Amino acid sequence: MPATSRRSFFAALSLDTWAVLLSLALALVIRFGVLKSVPW
Amino acid sequence: MSQANTVPFPSTALPQVDSQGKLAGFLGLLPGIALLGVVGYAGKFIEQSIARYGKAHHLVLPNIEYVLWAILIGVLIANTVGLPKIFQRGVATYEFWLKAGIVLLGARFILGDLARLGGISLILVFIELALALTFMTYLGRGFKLSPKLVTLLAVGSSVCGVSAIIATQGAIDADEEDSSYAIAAILALGALSLLVFPLVGHALHLSDHAYGLWTGLAVDNTAEATAAGAIYSDAAGKIAVIAKTCRNALIGFVVLGYALYWASKGQAGVVTNKAAFLWKKFPKFVLGFLLISLLATVGFFSKPELASLGNLSRWAFLLTFAGVGLRTNFRDLSKQGVRPFLVGAIGEVVIAVLTLGLVWGADHIFHL
Repeated sequence: MPATSRRSFFAALSLDTWAVLLSLALALVIRFGVLKSVPW
Repeated sequence: MSQANTVPFPSTALPQVDSQGKLAGFLGLLPGIALLGVVGYAGKFIEQSIARYGKAHHLVLPNIEYVLWAILIGVLIANTVGLPKIFQRGVATYEFWLKAGIVLLGARFILGDLARLGGISLILVFIELALALTFMTYLGRGFKLSPKLVTLLAVGSSVCGVSAIIATQGAIDADEEDSSYAIAAILALGALSLLVFPLVGHALHLSDHAYGLWTGLAVDNTAEATAAGAIYSDAAGKIAVIAKTCRNALIGFVVLGYALYWASKGQAGVVTNKAAFLWKKFPKFVLGFLLISLLATVGFFSKPELASLGNLSRWAFLLTFAGVGLRTNFRDLSKQGVRPFLVGAIGEVVIAVLTLGLVWGADHIFHL
């Protein structure tokens, strides 16, 4: 994907989608042991 | 009047930053996000300090959740010293943290529970929607508000607050002024609900499940509904999110209905592709929430990992609750018209009573 298309693709993502992507990324980080535990 | 007059700062800070594609833009968010963290953590610190003091001195002190402290500190800052410009864009990310928190909350539900709670919630949401939309429409007409303002208030108070109003404004070509009035009314009433709902819940000795369901059905804005639930208890907060998410999921259908209605009157653009319209309006975080819940159900995460995800969700909500307080500016809210506020207030009280009746009935039938 060309750099400009990539930029416009990411720019078009909604706030909701960004929140989902961040949450999934965090879930994977925890699942694969990069982050061992999160205290409260 | 521009929307910015009523909503103190933009609520979609992250996409703007991405479109600018500048590191400086991202760095500009950090002071506000740090302030959200400080205010939220101060609330948590106060809650823990009171509990420790009570334990050390053998006193039975009321357990006031950190949520309320965080909101109160935020309100105090916003309405005394005000929010300096350097913090505003970062504080506006509180909606982003709310959605991330909801997605991560999926780890605390297995799909079976979700289907049961979501099923009950959906039934009640359909009844609530029908009652609220009808009542608000007639009430608005009775107060001789403009027809599109009536539509915005009806959608805002029956579906999901500010997001629904913004989505509907574009779909029915409503005036920005009408939209600002409706948003201000919903925000002012949302702030009030944070105090009133827990008091009523305690007075009626509602269970966590019944109270959470009630706030999810009756409080309009997702952030306030989550906060009003969490002020009562952690369990009530979880249930409030489920019920509110069910309402959010229906936003597209309600907005589409109104868009078709106003288009048929020649006062809004024609909707050519209904499926694309529904997908565009559908809140995507609902899908993320279901996906995380599915992964939790099939055993993708171990128990300690699920606990960590649940805690991450709590941290995201902590930032959200601080943002709810920091963006509540009474001076801005008082600029709205009296009649839209009155219609909103009367509508909210009636909807709260109706939904309380619905929840009471469901509690007796389904034993929530």
